[in-house]
Amino acid sequence: MKRLNVRLITALWILLALAAVGQAITDQQPSTGASISSATEVQPPAGKDSVKFLVIGDSGTGDRAQVETAAQMWKAHSVFPYEFAIMLGDNLYGGERPQDFVNKFERPFKPMLDAKIPFYAALGNHDDPNQRMYKNFGMGEKRFYTYQKKDVRFFALDSNYMDKDQQRWLEEELSKSNSKWKIAYCHHPIYSSGGRHGSEVDLRSIVEPLFIKYNLNVMFAGHEHFYERIKPQRGIYYFTAGGSAKLRGGDIISNSALTAKGFDTDQSFMVVEIDGDVLRFQTISRRGKRVDSGEIRRGPTS
Amino acid sequence: MTKLYSAASIAVFAILLSACGKADTAEPRALAGAAADQAKPASANQSAATPASTAAPSTDPGVNAQGAATLEFKKRIDAYLKIHNAAEGKVPNLKRTDDPKEISDRQAALAKMIMTLRAGAQPGDIFAPEYQPYFIKIVQDDFKTRSAADRKAIVNELPANIKIDINTEYPTTIPLETFPPVLLRKLPDLPPELEYRIVNKNLILRDVKANLIVDILRGVVPTIPS
Repeated sequence: MKRLNVRLITALWILLALAAVGQAITDQQPSTGASISSATEVQPPAGKDSVKFLVIGDSGTGDRAQVETAAQMWKAHSVFPYEFAIMLGDNLYGGERPQDFVNKFERPFKPMLDAKIPFYAALGNHDDPNQRMYKNFGMGEKRFYTYQKKDVRFFALDSNYMDKDQQRWLEEELSKSNSKWKIAYCHHPIYSSGGRHGSEVDLRSIVEPLFIKYNLNVMFAGHEHFYERIKPQRGIYYFTAGGSAKLRGGDIISNSALTAKGFDTDQSFMVVEIDGDVLRFQTISRRGKRVDSGEIRRGPTS
Repeated sequence: MTKLYSAASIAVFAILLSACGKADTAEPRALAGAAADQAKPASANQSAATPASTAAPSTDPGVNAQGAATLEFKKRIDAYLKIHNAAEGKVPNLKRTDDPKEISDRQAALAKMIMTLRAGAQPGDIFAPEYQPYFIKIVQDDFKTRSAADRKAIVNELPANIKIDINTEYPTTIPLETFPPVLLRKLPDLPPELEYRIVNKNLILRDVKANLIVDILRGVVPTIPS
């Protein structure tokens, strides 16, 4: 009887060990393919000549979650053919070696790169500013930069280091832009209901007056590893979309007065369309579910 | 390429420091003590391009002591830039590339060249020991103006328990701390080749292109009561 017990316990230990090894192997699977095959709920764009783009945040892990979310992004492209992608920072976690660029960017996003979809990255706190020299991040050797897509002027900011040079540049560029839409993006959200980080009030005190003065319409940020749509703040719409690989489940403070919609139970990304005076957005989970959508109309003063 | 920071910002900095001095004319004990802890004698093999002699605070009644601190800082930054530029001239140029190896190789080569040219670099080469209390005061005064939640949020984001030293590469596996923009406004401007960062409660100067720690001012961030 005693011998039987010993055998049973030994067998149990072996099973547990095998399970643990199996899990470890699963976690370390090379980032070459995705296993989630659920259908996408992305809706096609409504406009014919609209500006269509993808929003990715905090994606640079190289792990399975990133690969699966990236695969879902590519699946979404077949329905919603975005023309370019904006990256909200933390493009590469844990290192800046050549293989990090491959494993955490080039491989997961290979279909987009092969399709010549340009990326325009902002720097996160995990990113070396020398990423600006990497052609595929579209930064034109600048930590902060601006570009135009039809009626839309984009401002990619470096919120890690908002020095006086950048402030001057931002004010100058915002003031001289006559674009119908002005959209800024950076890594740190100036409004957020994240339990871990929360709103970057220091940054807000610097940039928000400029946003208001020069009629910014929308801002995208990452840093928080979830999706949150903020109730409009002083006429400006804010989205946090930092859950494209990392996920901080349950981090959105419940009953936050800021939250219009939150999603923190799976990875996510956004597809956005700007069609005349209307911006339409859809937020898609790693499993292809549409977890938020809506439209924003430009105000008469914008 | 190298931007000289404006005289106006120096003046603002001087006025700010002057105001600090008026509010608290005697040097706070804690700050003076902290400065004494930082101050290390200049090494015999100190880099030729950095001032070897310690710059005594001006006793000239016509010179504002705080302004002198800024000017001395600027002088030392300029001396560093000469080294940086010399090093850049000795390594291959870097253009925008789709090969990340070119970026990392160039960064490493530049870092190595600067390390060689500054082989005798010492803490305090840029943050002159005599003027360190002014920097410490700026940071600590900034923290005093912040709410407890804000202070906590900043401190929580600081990389901690990391071994850093001057003239060594900033560890690439850890995040760069997000520098509080309001505090950044209060510190003297830096040329684009350099930036301030905070690590382990220390204020560091970091060479952006070389990812190199140029100088460290230790114990700058106040301890936040739990």
